[in-house]
Amino acid sequence: MSLFQALRAFFREALINLIRGWKVSLLAILTITVSLLVGGAFLLVSRNLLASVERWRGETRVVIYLQPGTPPDVLQRLAAEAAASPWAASADTVTADAARRRFQDAFPTLTDLVEGVGDEPLPSSIEIALKDPGQRPPELRAWLESWRRRPEVSMVDDDREWLHQIETVAAVLRGVGLALAGGLLAAAIFTTASVIRLTAYLHSDEISVLRLVGATEFYIRGPFYAEGFLQGLAGGLAASGGLWAAFTLLRLRRPGSLIETLLAAQFLSPAQIAFLVLLGGAAGLTGAVMSLRRESL
Amino acid sequence: MIHFFQVTKRYPGGQTALDRVSFEIPRGQFVFLTGASGAGKTSLLRLIFREDVPDEGQILVNGRNVSSIPPSKIPYLRRTIGVVFQDFRLISRKTVFENITYLPRILGADTRSQKKLAYNALRRVGLSHRVNAFPLELSGGEQQRVAIARALMNEPEILIADEPTGNLDPDLSWEILRLFLEVNLRGTTVLLATHDRDMIQRVGRRVLTLDAGRLANDQELLGTDPPRLEPAAGETSADSPPEMEEPR
Repeated sequence: MSLFQALRAFFREALINLIRGWKVSLLAILTITVSLLVGGAFLLVSRNLLASVERWRGETRVVIYLQPGTPPDVLQRLAAEAAASPWAASADTVTADAARRRFQDAFPTLTDLVEGVGDEPLPSSIEIALKDPGQRPPELRAWLESWRRRPEVSMVDDDREWLHQIETVAAVLRGVGLALAGGLLAAAIFTTASVIRLTAYLHSDEISVLRLVGATEFYIRGPFYAEGFLQGLAGGLAASGGLWAAFTLLRLRRPGSLIETLLAAQFLSPAQIAFLVLLGGAAGLTGAVMSLRRESL
Repeated sequence: MIHFFQVTKRYPGGQTALDRVSFEIPRGQFVFLTGASGAGKTSLLRLIFREDVPDEGQILVNGRNVSSIPPSKIPYLRRTIGVVFQDFRLISRKTVFENITYLPRILGADTRSQKKLAYNALRRVGLSHRVNAFPLELSGGEQQRVAIARALMNEPEILIADEPTGNLDPDLSWEILRLFLEVNLRGTTVLLATHDRDMIQRVGRRVLTLDAGRLANDQELLGTDPPRLEPAAGETSADSPPEMEEPR
């Protein structure tokens, strides 16, 4: 019997077993689904968070807020100095008047807050676009620190600091997801192993006949391996489908919301979906191999 | 064909199942193996198809030393031996066709070849019309015939039967025994374990008698009423099965 013929026979037999014993198989499939769903959800969230970070990174600025009442010529001089720095791609000035108008445009309902106060309530500032926003070398930090110490400067705000914090959150989420999914996957492997062991027990009469007529161990165990693999694949597919459903639902229910932008801007890539499904298959196969390794059948 | 040389088998706990048993069965012989319950008949048969290994001695089957055969080669030995049990060992959830075509499937035979082989085997045992039946729809005698058909699927060189008529009434037992004798007529070596002394007396043939694990007697008996045998029908036919139902 060729390998192809054997595999075809294994999967045919495994499908029959899955259909006949669908209740116990469902248990294994569900545990794999849950573990991959949890892992996939964390993967999806961290993927979207990191994508958001990448998107925002291009828009990040270092903003140097000057002391209130800083004359325009000082603002221009400091901006020219900042632009001359090797870290800066450009340095734009925002006068106190422009800052107030920008505030009023962004928050029309809060216009009263900045009107009739007398002097300009918002400080003038210099917005510096960095040449490479992804880099955080010590020299750059020292340069920003030197700005903070200058008497004309009241505050230096580096957007990249909170972006870095989001990146850290995404990394933590991914780690927690990996750990949680790993634990659940281990439980799923044990469940699959138990289900396969039970199936093998239910087929012990047939196994003894197979052995009697001269079936090799590969032929006897093959259908059980195939069954574990199929259970895992089904779990992986169900998890991917569940994630897709949750993703779609979120986008339909909260279009344009921050949560959609942050967590559901894009679905998993085809490679990640394939990985999720194959991981399920591998988990099922591992469970089957584990269960039959300990069983003499 | 089968050669036992000073074979001893002990079970855990120290019980001796076989004690220095020696005999030789030439190719094509029909041999009864008899003895009281617990005499060691089943233990001896299990050693032949390597279900067990002897603690001492050597067993040659088809020129192969069964005691030292590696586990990976055991399936190939078993493909040359047909085995029939008292309890039939049929899978109740499978049809007759599925029950008897395990070996062809293992060997990768296509469905057409499986049908031909099944037809020939079932015709030999007179059951070609029950191909789609499930075992529980058959009588005890029919179930044993199916088990024999399964054992004959690959034209084995040796056919071993362990109390094949133990669950059957005398008439059915006689029918089943005739089948074994017909199979033997075609050159298959048959070793049949039974404690039915009347049957042995009636048929005759060589008889090995075990007593408490020892070979107590090895004699050739002349039967008092041996059956008249004819070669089994359809034994060489490889044509398409005309009267067999299409397997489900």
